[in-house]
Amino acid sequence: MPLDVESREAVETAEGEVVDELVVNVGPSHPSTHGVCRVIIHLDGEIVTRAEPVIGYLHRGIEKMAENRTYLQVVPLTDRLDYVGSMYSNWAYCRSVERLADIPVPERAEYLRVIVCELQRIASHMMAIGSNGADTGALTLFVYAFDQREHVVELFEELCGQRLTYNYVRPGGVSHDMPEGWADDVRAFTAAHRSALAEMDKLFFGNVITRGRLKGIGVLSADDAVAWGASGPVARGSGVNWDLRKHDPYSVYPRFDFDIPTGTDGDCYDRARVRLYECYESCRIIEQALAQMQPGPHRTEGLPRLIAPPPGDAYDHIESARGALGVYLVSDGSTRPYRMKVRSPAFCNLALLPTLAEGHMLSDLVAILGSLDPVFGEVDR
Amino acid sequence: MSGLVWGVVWGLAAGVLIAIAALIGVWWERKFSGAIQMRIGPQELGPAGLLQTLADTVKLVLKEDIIPGRADVTVFRIAPLIVFAPIAMSLVVVPYAAGFAPLDTSVGILFFMAVPAVSVIGVMLAGWSSRNTYASIGGVRAAAQMISYELPRTLSVLPFVLLAGSMRPLDIVAAWQWWWVPLLAIGFVVYLISSVAELNRGPFDLPEAESELVAGYFADYSGIRWAIFMMAEYGGLLAAAVFGAALFFGPFSLLPGAAGVVLFVILSAVLATVMMWAKWTFPRMRPDQLMGVAWKVLTPMALVQLVLVGAVVPWL
Amino acid sequence: MALGRHDTSRDANGNGNGNGDGTRHHEVGAPDRTPEAVPVTVNVTDDFPGGVAGFFERWRSLLVGFGITGRRALGPTTTLRYPHERVVLSPRWRGALRLRGILGRDDIPILRDAPTAYNDLIDSTYRADRLPPCVGNCPANVDARGQGYFLGEDKAVEAYELVRERNILPGVLGRICHHPCETACRRNYYDEPIAIRPLHRHAFEEYAKVAEEHLKPFEVTRDERVAIIGSGPSGLAAAFDLMSLGYHVTAYEKEKKPGGALYSGVPAYRLPRDVLHTEIDYLVKMGLELKLGVEVGHDVPIDYLIGEYDAVIIAAGLQDSRILPVPGHDAEGVKGALPFLRAANWKGDAGVKGKKVLVIGGGNVAVDVARCALRTGATEVRLSCLEASDEMPCHPWEIEEALDEGVIAMCSFGPEEVLTTEDNRVRGMRMRECLAVFDAAGRFAPVFGDEYLEIETDVVVFSIGQAPDLAHVVAGSDLSLTERGLLPVDGTLFTTHHPGVFACGEVVTGPGSAIASIATGHETAISVHRYLRGEHLAADRVPRPVPIYAKYQKATLEGVEKSRLRVNMPMAPPEARANDFRPVELGLTHMEALNEAARCLRCQSEVCVGCTFCARTCPDYAIEVERTDDPGERHVTHYDLDLTKCCFCGLCAEQCPTDALVHTGQYELTFFHRGPTIFAREEMLRDGGGTRATGCDAVRAADTEAGR
Repeated sequence: MPLDVESREAVETAEGEVVDELVVNVGPSHPSTHGVCRVIIHLDGEIVTRAEPVIGYLHRGIEKMAENRTYLQVVPLTDRLDYVGSMYSNWAYCRSVERLADIPVPERAEYLRVIVCELQRIASHMMAIGSNGADTGALTLFVYAFDQREHVVELFEELCGQRLTYNYVRPGGVSHDMPEGWADDVRAFTAAHRSALAEMDKLFFGNVITRGRLKGIGVLSADDAVAWGASGPVARGSGVNWDLRKHDPYSVYPRFDFDIPTGTDGDCYDRARVRLYECYESCRIIEQALAQMQPGPHRTEGLPRLIAPPPGDAYDHIESARGALGVYLVSDGSTRPYRMKVRSPAFCNLALLPTLAEGHMLSDLVAILGSLDPVFGEVDR
Repeated sequence: MSGLVWGVVWGLAAGVLIAIAALIGVWWERKFSGAIQMRIGPQELGPAGLLQTLADTVKLVLKEDIIPGRADVTVFRIAPLIVFAPIAMSLVVVPYAAGFAPLDTSVGILFFMAVPAVSVIGVMLAGWSSRNTYASIGGVRAAAQMISYELPRTLSVLPFVLLAGSMRPLDIVAAWQWWWVPLLAIGFVVYLISSVAELNRGPFDLPEAESELVAGYFADYSGIRWAIFMMAEYGGLLAAAVFGAALFFGPFSLLPGAAGVVLFVILSAVLATVMMWAKWTFPRMRPDQLMGVAWKVLTPMALVQLVLVGAVVPWL
Repeated sequence: MALGRHDTSRDANGNGNGNGDGTRHHEVGAPDRTPEAVPVTVNVTDDFPGGVAGFFERWRSLLVGFGITGRRALGPTTTLRYPHERVVLSPRWRGALRLRGILGRDDIPILRDAPTAYNDLIDSTYRADRLPPCVGNCPANVDARGQGYFLGEDKAVEAYELVRERNILPGVLGRICHHPCETACRRNYYDEPIAIRPLHRHAFEEYAKVAEEHLKPFEVTRDERVAIIGSGPSGLAAAFDLMSLGYHVTAYEKEKKPGGALYSGVPAYRLPRDVLHTEIDYLVKMGLELKLGVEVGHDVPIDYLIGEYDAVIIAAGLQDSRILPVPGHDAEGVKGALPFLRAANWKGDAGVKGKKVLVIGGGNVAVDVARCALRTGATEVRLSCLEASDEMPCHPWEIEEALDEGVIAMCSFGPEEVLTTEDNRVRGMRMRECLAVFDAAGRFAPVFGDEYLEIETDVVVFSIGQAPDLAHVVAGSDLSLTERGLLPVDGTLFTTHHPGVFACGEVVTGPGSAIASIATGHETAISVHRYLRGEHLAADRVPRPVPIYAKYQKATLEGVEKSRLRVNMPMAPPEARANDFRPVELGLTHMEALNEAARCLRCQSEVCVGCTFCARTCPDYAIEVERTDDPGERHVTHYDLDLTKCCFCGLCAEQCPTDALVHTGQYELTFFHRGPTIFAREEMLRDGGGTRATGCDAVRAADTEAGR
């Protein structure tokens, strides 16, 4: 009796050989698809011969919805783009609006934005590293990483009252100034976070099984990374030394001293470990920003409730936890954007999956998917 | 005839023992993994959440027994029992006290190693009968894995036969000497690792790999049939722990009478905990690496142990 | 290492920059966004060593893992605290929303207190973040919100009496005030500010119809008597407060009619004289003793007042116009602004009929002069000032009206020389281009260019400032003036160096607005009261609070319904109004005023007024608000917050001008309380205090609340 008639497919290879393949439908609801990704994989034994990501299960039409909302109302929508890193979407969008309408941003707001975005980077990378662990079966690492993420989320809750969809960065500044004692909490967190990072490094990245699972898997060459438009840790894991915070410095980033960790091999291990080391750098940036910050307004005063930028367009991008996140806005002079387009790093990175997964085993597929760290809110938009 | 009666009695006893072990084992694993993950674990039902597992059992019994539409119904139904029964049987030959094993047989070691291996058939059948790609892959993985790890596991207990000159567990327990512990250290490690692998527990839980195969061979099981799979897992854990504790550490020789049994229980619990500890510490291996470990690491190590013991035996 | 990858990184960077060109003036830190060369210093790639060491290293990594998890197992439980410890929520936690108060059922606080306690009231309200910006930004802290509330309820008398307590001449100020309240009005943020000043005027007009029924003299409860020199706004304000405190007050006015600068300086087309005198009459009916035509220092020496009264307040105002000493400034035809205005206001003829007039100066007085010149028959009126057109010191609406009427503005020119005929009559003016008025530090230091301009004119009016003329007033007393003719006065207590003699108004502050003068009058009254009571003048006294409010950028009116916009003050057409002194602003109708008052958002009152800005801001269309707007029946009829749509972005609460909409922090309300949110007042007003507990707790709390 055949296993399952419908999931078998006779495939003719280039050599004319007819191979019996097992077609497995991973997702859209699956423990390791990081949301609602569907991957149709063709298995020859345990070997993946073809992996085809199918996206769109989380498409909410955010770009279209934005055309019917005022500029301020779009900010909560951007929360739902990259829901693991809402601050980035907020910021990228607000930068475009500020560029479009020429809204000044107080310096303190820029510092607050840098601080929350670096905290967000930690939170997002903890999510990525934790799910790298969960994908490879290290559930405890997942909890340790989420413990760290929880601290960040609590800091965010203190700051803006929300734990996931912050709606914190607004055109012309940020919604709240730091509450009293928050800076000390952040400093205490970064200090504790460093030791937690070292522990995670030893527990997971130094482990023989992890290295066996992740090293040499899903190798992405630097040229391919650039050719495919990969950015963020995915590109840096392949040795592409490119980070918008350094290469297109925005906000107050030039005032900080930090490094860009890169990998050499471009495999899952390097991609995942780049994230871990970026957390160290984020801690450095946060501490410097807290030290440099001066009192002042956190939001440009007197902005009207409805922003009506002059007709024109603007694009601005920031380095999100997943790479270069850009928002393109077109204004027709009214109070609503004429068009919004999001350049989503997760989408570009996910496009690498078929190339990377081919020839690897089924177990590696989830590791590769995890190392690309897609967030489907941003992929599908 | 009396043998049949005793068989029924001991079979029931083993079932009850496994049920209790599963109840406590699940609770303890939840508590222990909770501690590792800085959580509390079950806490609401009973003291320290002890009755949580019982409540879960009631829930599982009451749940609908879902059978996939295209499943091979008969096979699907009996597969959990085929997994469970051999593991329950294996508990019969374990020495629970000095001079007492429910089934005192001269081929005890062989029985303990061979009988649970039958459960691999149940696992395969479960995976196959579900008509589900994930379950099928899980079943095939399980077959490859369990058969591979039979070898190092059996090799790791062979030194006892050499040292005691008997395959009867009671004889081995009686012949236990303290210096066996350092002598058999390598064998113990191999025994422990291959037992975990044999049980499909993390970090060797490929057949049921949550993140890849969702739940592997029992993906389509629910309710009491799923619970039987869980009981088989904890029964196997129990068997591996009690057998290892009795043979490798000789609790009955160290302490006389009831104290020895207490020590035996404690040692078993510690061994079970170590096996859980590994699950909650390490990532999962890949199938090819798993085979590599079995054939390239554990089997040579077991052979080295055998050679070591073989070199010592003539001097006894 | 990845150093070899610089080429690719540049490529990638170039692509990134290509989309993002365009300047960014407000960029902090890196305006040019020059890429930094970043050497790779952190390489993350790592592996075990080979050989036997690697073998042991591999086994060791397993033990290290056991060690880490084992240590954590022995450590404290930190990941999950709930529900063993109840989680304390951040005060900024958004959660479900509730209303603190509802229009129609909850009253808004009316800011009203004795003059001596009023500063304290404003200050504490401000500290509690309950002070509406219009009140905060008004120098005299007039409760414009209360006025809007009463007028909206068609209670014009209450509104007038409330406003009069701080702004003693609402009808007058309702026509001439420069309304800093409207500048700070929070409605600027949404569309256009409330017409607070026209509403003052409307309140007066309504009150005037029934004034006889409501005017009651203040009871004189104290023996002390106070004399006030001058009957301008500051003096009258001090008089009003002192009368309300029970003193007998006498005001000495040197002119035949009271009003001070309001009478002599403000042209009648802005302030009809009957309005001014009606309001001053009210004060007289309330107990003010007014002695007209008595010039202190001339008819009565100040020493007499000091001897006769227990306290004397000098509120004489500014009497003297400054004239720039350029060559030819003594020619016939060169005038000061105040004499010109007096002549125009009193006689209706300033001697400019058929002549060309050049006004030097860019302030409000200069604009008044120019407009008066038009009305008294000048054929051509030019206004020349040093400042550029966008930095003229006068109020923009003033110069706008003047330009409408035909005044020609010549900005960025300074007077160089008055050109005279042989018989010393003005024939023209030589002007010089002015490049900048203020230096970098903001001091007055004009920089002139090389461009000159000669203008033919018959009359030159200098309107470059006024000065006090107190020499007569203080003559014979031990009060002395500075070299510049100023009276030394304490700026906060308004005391002079003679005990019992105080000064207020423009004598102290220099040229300023009427409402600012009134504010000094209130302060002086407190000082006088404390002096007469023998209390320490400064101890425990709350200084007048001066909150700073951001200036609003102009809001776009796109998509704002006509019914929500500010009422248009009807104006006489420019060609009709430029010839005589009839009022320019024609006033609001009763219905217009009621609607305008209903536009008031009742800022910071913590009462929902159904302004619907929350609903308009909600990105999820989760809020529905309806209200009825009949006077006396104005209330919110429907407030539906659909929590199944709410995304907890918090924009609505942020928009709420009254702070009525707040987050409860009741996380569970989100899930459990869909039903009651279809407006159940108890539910929306329920106190959301406490901590997040289990869902059951929230429900139980609701039950007990309901049971109460």
